[in-house]
Amino acid sequence: MSRDGKEKVSANGKKKRGEKKSSPLLFETTSRFYGSSLPGVKPEELSGTLVVIEGTDGSGRSTQISLLTEWLESEGFAVQTMGLRRSYLVGEDIDGLLEENAVTRTTLALMYGTDFFDQLERRILPALRSGLVVLADRYIFTLIARAAVRGIGRDYLHGIYETALRPDLTFWLDVKPEVAFDREFKKSQAISYWESGRDMSLSNDLFQSFIKYQSLIKKEFEYLSKRHGFIELDGEASVSTVNGHLRKRIASHLGIRSTHYKPSSALAHTWR
Amino acid sequence: MPTVTDTPTNTPETKPEVTSLSKRPYPGALVVVEGIDGSGKSTQLYLLKRWLEIHGYRIHFTEWNSSPLVKSATRRGKQRRLLTPTTFSLLHAADFADRCERQIMPLLHGGYLVLADRYIYTAFARDAARGCSPHWLRNLYSFAPIPDITFYFRAPLDVAVNRIVAGRPKLKYYEAGMDLGISLDRSESFRIFQERILNNYDEMVETDNFVLMDGTVKVNKLQKHMREMVAQRVDLARYAPKHK
Repeated sequence: MSRDGKEKVSANGKKKRGEKKSSPLLFETTSRFYGSSLPGVKPEELSGTLVVIEGTDGSGRSTQISLLTEWLESEGFAVQTMGLRRSYLVGEDIDGLLEENAVTRTTLALMYGTDFFDQLERRILPALRSGLVVLADRYIFTLIARAAVRGIGRDYLHGIYETALRPDLTFWLDVKPEVAFDREFKKSQAISYWESGRDMSLSNDLFQSFIKYQSLIKKEFEYLSKRHGFIELDGEASVSTVNGHLRKRIASHLGIRSTHYKPSSALAHTWR
Repeated sequence: MPTVTDTPTNTPETKPEVTSLSKRPYPGALVVVEGIDGSGKSTQLYLLKRWLEIHGYRIHFTEWNSSPLVKSATRRGKQRRLLTPTTFSLLHAADFADRCERQIMPLLHGGYLVLADRYIYTAFARDAARGCSPHWLRNLYSFAPIPDITFYFRAPLDVAVNRIVAGRPKLKYYEAGMDLGISLDRSESFRIFQERILNNYDEMVETDNFVLMDGTVKVNKLQKHMREMVAQRVDLARYAPKHK
């Protein structure tokens, strides 16, 4: 498939963690879908821009998305967001399934798939048709990684998401599992069942379980990063540093000249 | 062997000519019925089930119905008409996966003869009629075990459609394929939708080794044939009740 050859070019973020100039043309020439397009969707109608921020819990995704939304809006761009379990159709049902722990891995993977496509078809595609900038707080990559570490075939998962829209830019905020643990613990004073992969019986010790699980996920992301051409950013850097890299890259894609930005008082507390 | 007597021609034990069991990673067997609404498949599977049940075989019957896990989502999606071909298909696949992983697979590994009223071919025929790519659908359901026998009940479109329309005062929105916008008339839409599904089924007869069953044949005659086919293709002795 063409995606492998073409996107690898931009996939070597490892060596130069921070920023790297690459031509936005690279993305414009590849197809907007991974495989066949969704029934009834005309790619040429999608004039908006899809920006994906991936990374584990504790990598700073949500903070960055709030900041980017404010920045883009101040630059005059309308923004739509998406994320996991936010569909009207099944978002709450997945919450329920996760609480019960009775759900098996394939069912869960397919419920997440339903959640994803409901948002994509009913919210994201209309937004892109209207020329909005869509900021995705995680995308198919988290869904693929989580299911793959549970033993579901990667080809199977890529097959399900072959009708997903290919993002214009995909950022990966990479943090060490230990750092993610510190941040998550600080935030909620506990570690969640699913974020520590307790369904996988990796360890009875919650810290060990979390580290092992997040390391497996990270490995999947390293593979996905190569395959899909992620822009890797050091998620352990300060919020303002990471935000600077994101703005620079997004600005060049959207043709915004100035990347100057200072958060408003509403968001100033996140700026460190 | 069971002490109960049966009609001489179709005792379950007549010559087990087992073709495929050795290839399968489980001791159970899976018998499936497929076909459009009104083709007579559920009646026939019910009779097959009764036959095996009465003789004490280790069987389990499962049907294409919402499991409690995804029921509320399916209901919400259908009531408010939120489902697109893709989410319709994924939601049903999630539902099927639940039944497959928590019911069908454990039963097959536990040595049961599993009877399924509708299986993955229902999704292939119906969701492709909605516009999903057949290639995508095949991948979506690739976790499902392949049946030992798939009976495909085929009745002419008019016969099947009349059976359904006569028995049902109002066809449901998705059932009639109204989401496809084929026709504003529900019966008309249902008819065209069923025709597309029928064509998709027909295309799978060869590729998926369907056993073609003529849905217009008299019920008891067809059932006799069905029992013979099962006895031929499935080693029924494996599921027979143990001696006391």
